[in-house]
Amino acid sequence: MPGDFAGLFKIIELCHQFPHGITDQVIQNEMPHIEAQQRAVAINRLLSMGQLDLLRSSTGLLYRIKDSQNAGSVSFFLSKMKGSDNQEKLVYQIIEDAGNKGIWSRDIRYKSNLPLTEINKILKNLESKKLIKAVKSVAASKKKVYMLYNLQPDRSVTGGAWYSDQDFESEFVEVLNQQCFKFLQSKAETARESKQNPMIQRNSSFASSHEVWKYICELGISKVELSMEDIETILNTLIYDGKVEMTIIAAKEGTVGSVDGHMKLYRAVSPIIPPTGLVRAPCGLCPVFDDCHEGGEISPSNCIYMTEWLEF
Amino acid sequence: MTQAEIKLCSLLLQEHFGEIVEKIGVHLIRTGSQPLRVIVHDTATSLDQVKKALCVLIQHNLVLYQVHKRGVVEYEAQCNRVLRMLRYPRYIYTTKALYGDTGELIVEELLLNGKMTMSAVVKKVADRLTETVEDGKTMDYAEVSNTFVQLADTRFVQRCPMVHIPENSDTGPSPPAPSLVINEKDMYLVPKLSLIGKGKRRRSSDEDAAGEPKAKRPKRPMDSKEPIPDDGIYWQANLDRFHQHFRDQAIVSAVANRMDQTSSEIMRAMLRMSEVTTSSDAPFTQPLSSNEIFRSLPVGYNISKQVLDQYLTLLADDPLEFVGKSGDSGGGMYIINFCKALASLAIATLESVIQERFGSRCARIFRLVLQKKHLEQKQVEDFAMIPAKEAKDMLYKMLSENFISLQEIPKTPDHAPSRTFYLYTVNVLSAVRMLLHRCYKSVSNLIERRQFETKENKRLLEKSQRVEAIIASVQATGAEEAQLQEIEEMITAPERQQLETLKRNVNKLDASEIQVDETIFLLESYIESTTKRQ
Repeated sequence: MPGDFAGLFKIIELCHQFPHGITDQVIQNEMPHIEAQQRAVAINRLLSMGQLDLLRSSTGLLYRIKDSQNAGSVSFFLSKMKGSDNQEKLVYQIIEDAGNKGIWSRDIRYKSNLPLTEINKILKNLESKKLIKAVKSVAASKKKVYMLYNLQPDRSVTGGAWYSDQDFESEFVEVLNQQCFKFLQSKAETARESKQNPMIQRNSSFASSHEVWKYICELGISKVELSMEDIETILNTLIYDGKVEMTIIAAKEGTVGSVDGHMKLYRAVSPIIPPTGLVRAPCGLCPVFDDCHEGGEISPSNCIYMTEWLEF
Repeated sequence: MTQAEIKLCSLLLQEHFGEIVEKIGVHLIRTGSQPLRVIVHDTATSLDQVKKALCVLIQHNLVLYQVHKRGVVEYEAQCNRVLRMLRYPRYIYTTKALYGDTGELIVEELLLNGKMTMSAVVKKVADRLTETVEDGKTMDYAEVSNTFVQLADTRFVQRCPMVHIPENSDTGPSPPAPSLVINEKDMYLVPKLSLIGKGKRRRSSDEDAAGEPKAKRPKRPMDSKEPIPDDGIYWQANLDRFHQHFRDQAIVSAVANRMDQTSSEIMRAMLRMSEVTTSSDAPFTQPLSSNEIFRSLPVGYNISKQVLDQYLTLLADDPLEFVGKSGDSGGGMYIINFCKALASLAIATLESVIQERFGSRCARIFRLVLQKKHLEQKQVEDFAMIPAKEAKDMLYKMLSENFISLQEIPKTPDHAPSRTFYLYTVNVLSAVRMLLHRCYKSVSNLIERRQFETKENKRLLEKSQRVEAIIASVQATGAEEAQLQEIEEMITAPERQQLETLKRNVNKLDASEIQVDETIFLLESYIESTTKRQ
């Protein structure tokens, strides 16, 4: 009926006037000649066309015009979703809200209260329409999180610089490990040979994490860009290897490489004892040590490891 | 006493003293303190033999006796002391490095004889040294005495507890066993002896001991007629002092490895200063002021006071924490932290074993868990940057060998596995004990293998001994080259080869025993220092 269209346009105009949203009361005031029934129908039409947003406020329900950006994607969305039902729209909404971290299918189920079979059908549908994509998380390799198709997944999901396509890049880490250690070692060498007084010698054998980061960046062995925190995790592994020690010193804000007023310094060190006596005997490394006793199948008298070791 | 320790004691006793002593000794170690009759009964050996065996063991400080109520004397074996027999070569070598051949022989004699009087030691050592120098020269008793006095001053030898004679000695019957006491002050007091004389060679073709004063005994075997001036004052080697020395050596070399030569020299000077002021099991030394350290540096070392101060500051600030600063008087007071030093050395030993056995990635995980104290599986993978599958494998391997343990923290009262946190942690004391047990067993294995190798080639060894005896006797009666050649050819070339291999193997096994003993020393010192603190 022609009156309907007029009513629709009037409502839309009203919404444009009040971009924050209008209540049902406002519409009633402005257009007193429309009955409640027709008003409801009109508003429902607009909602289903995606022109309006339905919001709940402390006072009651609010209707807000969808802004032009959204309206653009909405029209794109509408063209794709023609014929999709509300459930799919709901699911899409939930996935959109999850941003670039993605959301797990079980969480979608909780949020939408839809049964599992429905969810799976909808997700398959959406994927085939290229609206969403599934990204495997590095944390649990069986878990798939869904996010919008054109979004870049977040670091926590892909694992950042150390993972490429869900695979932990151990050779890359090893190479970085060795390069950092070589850098620190040569710095300690030059400091040792400079033969100045011990304080200066020691201080110059230290390198800050920033220096190491710059060195690695300049080496150019990494295809991915590495941040200072990444380099610090590599340096931490060197500490756990017992090859490097770290101290933290207070640094003035603004000096290169300082974070929150302190700086981490690293230095190459050598182990405090040579390989201990026990491991120089074959018994120290023997895999069947617990089974070995005199008179048994495995005994010191017929130990093949000892025989080999004695022939050395 | 664990099985491994008992096995090792049994092997050592057998090697040094023979079957009977071994039987009695092991029986005592196993059963604790027992009176004489019970020992005779339980071991089914005759009273005479048991007495002799106990004599030997007491002489060597391996068995102590105690009078209990009702006059029963009980004998107790010292398992720890028996294990020290493994370390005798190291003691002798240390004395050789510090005091030369004379010192080496003195300590060797003391260790081999358990307890000796000073005059006996001096005489024997002089004779032995005279054997080795060239013809025409002899070793003077005075030199040996001087070295002995030096050893007593630096506390490497000490007096044994003496028989205590009470003032009213005639009242009542004499007690079944003498009680031995020693005054702290007298322990290193050398009696005033005028030992004049020179060492004698064993062979009869000797130079004349002319111009000697009458105090010199003319005939060697019959010297029991003359009274020994210091009868009743027996000396023994002070093993604790040697252990202190080894500990200092380990600390100095650790500092040399971590820092540089000069720092280790300063450390050595500090340790030398605290040798007599601090008891051997104290956790910290007395505070040493920087001025004192400067004065006691070795003479050749020319570093200025400021440089010394800088080095001391560096030592105190180092993450190793061997040295701590305790005050500022006298230019800065510094103490050495023995607890921390021994702990670091023991942990370094653990890490070294893990590295050699399982690989450097495993060592990385171990150090990680050690530093962070408690970690979940996922956190271990993240910090160590090792792929999840490998990290899991390594953690489980170390877990099964008891280097790492699991700590469960349940979320629910029913401890359901899916709702419990499992944290990996390292309990250093228990890991060290486990490793120590392994060391003992390893040494037993090495000794057994050595004995096996010797037994295998017994026939060959006997043959070579016979040939040597023949050669010696033929040479003594004057023989020509050809005869000697003929006799030597009795041992064929492959047999000679076999003998060579045997000798090399036995030496290698021997050396390996001593190397494992070094590990044992570090681990035992650590356990002692931690348990004593508690």
